[in-house]
Amino acid sequence: MGMGLLASRAMRPTASSLLNSQNPRSLFFLGRAVSSTPELQNPEQSAAAQAQPEPTPDLPPRTPVAGARVHFPKLEDAIEVFVDGYPVKIPKGMTVLQACEVAGVDIPRFCYHSRLSIAGNCRMCLVEVEKSPKPVASCAMPALPGMKIKTDTPLAKKAREGVMEFLLMNHPLDCPICDQGGECDLQDQSMAFGSDRGRFTEMKRSVVDKNLGPLVKTVMTRCIQCTRCVRFATEVAGVEDLGMLGRGSGEEIGTYVEKLMTSELSGNVIDICPVGALTSKPFAFKARNWELKGTESIDVTDAVGSNIRIDSRGPEVMRIVPRLNEDINEEWISDKTRFCYDGLKRQRLNDPMIRGADGRFKPVSWRDALAVVAEIAHQVKPEEIVGIAGQLSDAESMMALKDFLNKLGSNNVWCERNGMFADADLRSGYLMNTSIAELEKADVFLLVGTQPRVEAAMVNARIRKTVRATHAKVGYVGPPADLNYDHQHLGTGPQTLVEIAEGRHFFSSALLNAKNPVIIVGAGLFNRKDKDTIFSSVETIAKKANVVRSDWNGLNVLLLSAAQAAALDLGLVPESEKCLESAKFIYLMGSDDANLEKIPDDAFVVYQGHHGDQSVYRANVILPASAFSEKEGTYENTEGCTQQTMPAVPTVGDARDDWKIIRALSEVAGVRLPYDTIGAIRSRIKTVAPNLLHVDEREPATFSTSLKPQSTHEMSSEPFATAVENFYMTDSITRASKIMAQCSALLLKK
Amino acid sequence: MASVVKSALKAIRERGVGTFLRELKEEGYAKCLLDGNLLQTKIHNIGARLVGVDKFGNKYYERLEDTQYGRHRWIEYAEKDRYNASQVPPEWHGWLHFITDHTGDELLMLKPKRYGIEHKQNFSGEGDEYIYHSKGHALNPGKRDWTRYQPWQPTKA
Amino acid sequence: MTTLQRSVWDLNLNLDFGRDLATSLSWDWNWFFKMLARLAAGRLLEIRQAFRQPSRSFSTALNYHLDSPDNKPNLPWEFTNANKEKVKEILSHYPSNYKQSGIIPLLDLAQQQNGGWLPVSAMNAVAKIVEVAPIRVYEVATFYSMFNRTKVGKYHLLVCGTTPCMIRGSQEIEDALLKHLGVKRNEVTKDGLFSVGEMECMGCCVNAPMITVADYSNGSEGYTYNYYEDVSPKRVVEIVEMLRRGEKLPPGTQNPGRIRSGPEGGNTTLLTDPKPPPCRDLDAC
Repeated sequence: MGMGLLASRAMRPTASSLLNSQNPRSLFFLGRAVSSTPELQNPEQSAAAQAQPEPTPDLPPRTPVAGARVHFPKLEDAIEVFVDGYPVKIPKGMTVLQACEVAGVDIPRFCYHSRLSIAGNCRMCLVEVEKSPKPVASCAMPALPGMKIKTDTPLAKKAREGVMEFLLMNHPLDCPICDQGGECDLQDQSMAFGSDRGRFTEMKRSVVDKNLGPLVKTVMTRCIQCTRCVRFATEVAGVEDLGMLGRGSGEEIGTYVEKLMTSELSGNVIDICPVGALTSKPFAFKARNWELKGTESIDVTDAVGSNIRIDSRGPEVMRIVPRLNEDINEEWISDKTRFCYDGLKRQRLNDPMIRGADGRFKPVSWRDALAVVAEIAHQVKPEEIVGIAGQLSDAESMMALKDFLNKLGSNNVWCERNGMFADADLRSGYLMNTSIAELEKADVFLLVGTQPRVEAAMVNARIRKTVRATHAKVGYVGPPADLNYDHQHLGTGPQTLVEIAEGRHFFSSALLNAKNPVIIVGAGLFNRKDKDTIFSSVETIAKKANVVRSDWNGLNVLLLSAAQAAALDLGLVPESEKCLESAKFIYLMGSDDANLEKIPDDAFVVYQGHHGDQSVYRANVILPASAFSEKEGTYENTEGCTQQTMPAVPTVGDARDDWKIIRALSEVAGVRLPYDTIGAIRSRIKTVAPNLLHVDEREPATFSTSLKPQSTHEMSSEPFATAVENFYMTDSITRASKIMAQCSALLLKK
Repeated sequence: MASVVKSALKAIRERGVGTFLRELKEEGYAKCLLDGNLLQTKIHNIGARLVGVDKFGNKYYERLEDTQYGRHRWIEYAEKDRYNASQVPPEWHGWLHFITDHTGDELLMLKPKRYGIEHKQNFSGEGDEYIYHSKGHALNPGKRDWTRYQPWQPTKA
Repeated sequence: MTTLQRSVWDLNLNLDFGRDLATSLSWDWNWFFKMLARLAAGRLLEIRQAFRQPSRSFSTALNYHLDSPDNKPNLPWEFTNANKEKVKEILSHYPSNYKQSGIIPLLDLAQQQNGGWLPVSAMNAVAKIVEVAPIRVYEVATFYSMFNRTKVGKYHLLVCGTTPCMIRGSQEIEDALLKHLGVKRNEVTKDGLFSVGEMECMGCCVNAPMITVADYSNGSEGYTYNYYEDVSPKRVVEIVEMLRRGEKLPPGTQNPGRIRSGPEGGNTTLLTDPKPPPCRDLDAC
């Protein structure tokens, strides 16, 4: 019966077409496999199954490990293997371990990681294969047709037990003081597969700890030499610093010459390390993982919207770890995402404050603060009112801000990174239309004024993955940058773009010959006056190289901050470009990077936000708001995927959610906004940008940019500027973080 | 009983009535009249073997004959009015509870020199200073600050 | 056999006896406890001895780099012009996209040029030539014990310490060498001429014990790596002195009664031509 089920799962036309529609990359972990009753739909199959000479009647039905799912590029490439007598169809080239996973058997492993190359050096995944004289390391052994794999025979169990004994030989018994305790692969697997005693009575070896920088703590004596960190650093992070030094019992992981790990992804080695050799330095000895409450949320420190889990204990965010999302961050996150959390505890605004006549701030009650703001708002002319949303604002609060200012009669509201010349007319003009996951299909990249490594580390990881896998060409136009893959630096300014557009540049032939070319334009260009001209020359290149087709849209804009896409979707675009200079009443909603020097001296500035960062020093009234870890908010990432944060911890002090503050202020000001709940505000959003309600869905832009009118601006020859100067400090949270300050002091030192 | 009277008379004869009475009081015989436990112990002590006296003055007795097995070792506390089991120092604990046959005097040498600390009886419930207040309690002198964030201070004018 | 092993063996034996001959032998508890105590005492002694040694003596040096005046990453290092030709020749053996295959011969060349040891800057130079990250070269250099990452003498004497040589007295040979030169293992004599190291089996077990002399005194052109077999503590001292005087001495077995690996006093077997293997008579077919 089991054979019939599996066979029909692979052969049934409906199922296979469904599977084929998936990306070949998403071989695993996509979701649960299709389950159905094949006997009903496929009588001859089940009849055949019943006619099998060797039925396996007492086998319980199995579900693939972690929803592992099989994709057959070509149906004839399918082979059948038997795992514990259970037949399973897999594509050619899969390893024995993967076959076991599909069959629902979880093989213990340390060195094998599905996103890294195969090393085969821990030997934990030994299984018995019929007719093989020795146990087989399943992670490195390709499955062959008809292979009979046995995972729970005495031989396999004894082999694992022996390997475990060897691994524990030199492993210190310091679990009680080890930060990995509780989430340690070695702990778990020694419980499950290990022996209850060891025979090793000699002295254990000890290894000198390495200094890998302010983020990763090393206790190298605990290392079991799985080389996952070495492979991660080499393959994913792109910093070939780590290596396996020495041999035999003297073997150790290290850099040989002392060197810090200067990668923006270095924190991921903490997750990848199966033991406590590499742990988080800021989290060291702070909490045990079983004390923590995990909240599935979204990162807001860049525009990628990496999926994270905020681990909190009581009112405190203890750490941030990645969550699996194949389409966005796979299972990595950048160091900024992972370690910015201590910024959530510092420099917080916890009381409404009003600047007195003496220039000093005085804590006041919400009632007083709102009354003062409402009074001033009514004293100025409507066109002198300006609102700026910050980098970390969620869609709900931006909607409320825009509605509030509109009710006051002003339409001068925008999001700080989008700049004054933002164009929200065409959605494809500000989104990453290819989507992050589809970047892997590209064969030529043209990066215009963007340095993905500092602007969006996860996008950079995808580009690097593509370059590594397919040797895709990368051309880069912009200031000299340190990209961690092979690239050609084509030029520094718009002039190069014109050359490529006119076909005078050597790179234009590469673009023309490309099958799936990708052009990524940095959002740092949004602040340039000649933005439209640059975009039109990019569009000329796109048109010539056939970048935008019906089946492929390779024209992308890489945004810089989490609020940008939603702000443009909601139409947060200033009415006049000069409004800031003539403003009398400025409402800064978490905006710390607006041009403060442009604000006239007599303007009344309200700062609503969670951190005492840059703008508070200019503010007249401070309204404390909650940070992303404390509220439910909708964010749209750079590829147009809507995601929501979830509150992990309570807000500090007297702070309130952004949209609630504006709602309360509107009532005091006499222009009551018609929503009282987050549901109501979302139904208001639905009328403006319905895609912001389709959570976890990527809404592609409908119109291409070709509809845009030609720009008349003169293109300046000024070279492109660096959009993000310091990777580790980009917004109010990361600027408040001590760890980030340490990182920028140590790691950015050249 | 007769032997008790005989030894008492002998003591009076040797040391005089005043000394005898004072000793009676110091040894807690006066308290016996009100404290049944003490009286019981004192009666028990008759004919028992004094095994040792610890540094606090607690006396440890043993009597192997004519006693119920398991009740053949006991202590007479030095303190006569408020005595409790926490006054037994650790070296005598084992002997008293039949964990070992080594007396406290023998086990005293096992006390770690470097980090062994002096035994202190448990003063729980003996006044505010001995009552445990949790880390957040107002009466805890080292009251912990549970604020987990650092507010922004408006320093700059 | 150590005390521990012996007592464990005793215990096992006794347990077996106890099980099998329960009627004839009574189990002596007193003896058992005494034995346990002896066992514990023996173990304690072992632990103490393990602690007494300041560090385990490995045949290779540390697995990480420590800066010293003559070994720093920023010191310039380059192949000589003659060796640059050799580098080209070595690289020509490998396909251009697998240049890293040449790491080992290039490191060897660099070591010969640099007087027998590899500074970090030499490894960096090799990494540059084969176009890999320096760490990949460090990995290779730390793996192979014949790459010396600290300074060695002009004559680097390597004593084989593997089982056959050990049984034939390699320890005495090393002791004699160290005593004669007045150095510790992996230490260079004051005049910079000699250093003594340990290595693993070089396949001369039939002529054990043996030492190897890596001669870096003539640069990479006159570099030799000779085996001296059948040595004795007296003979190695003689070899050292001959090397010091710059005399040539024949490599191979140092026993005058032997020819190569042959037995002392001439062959005893295979004295005639061996009989050819039985074949089918092709003509008869």
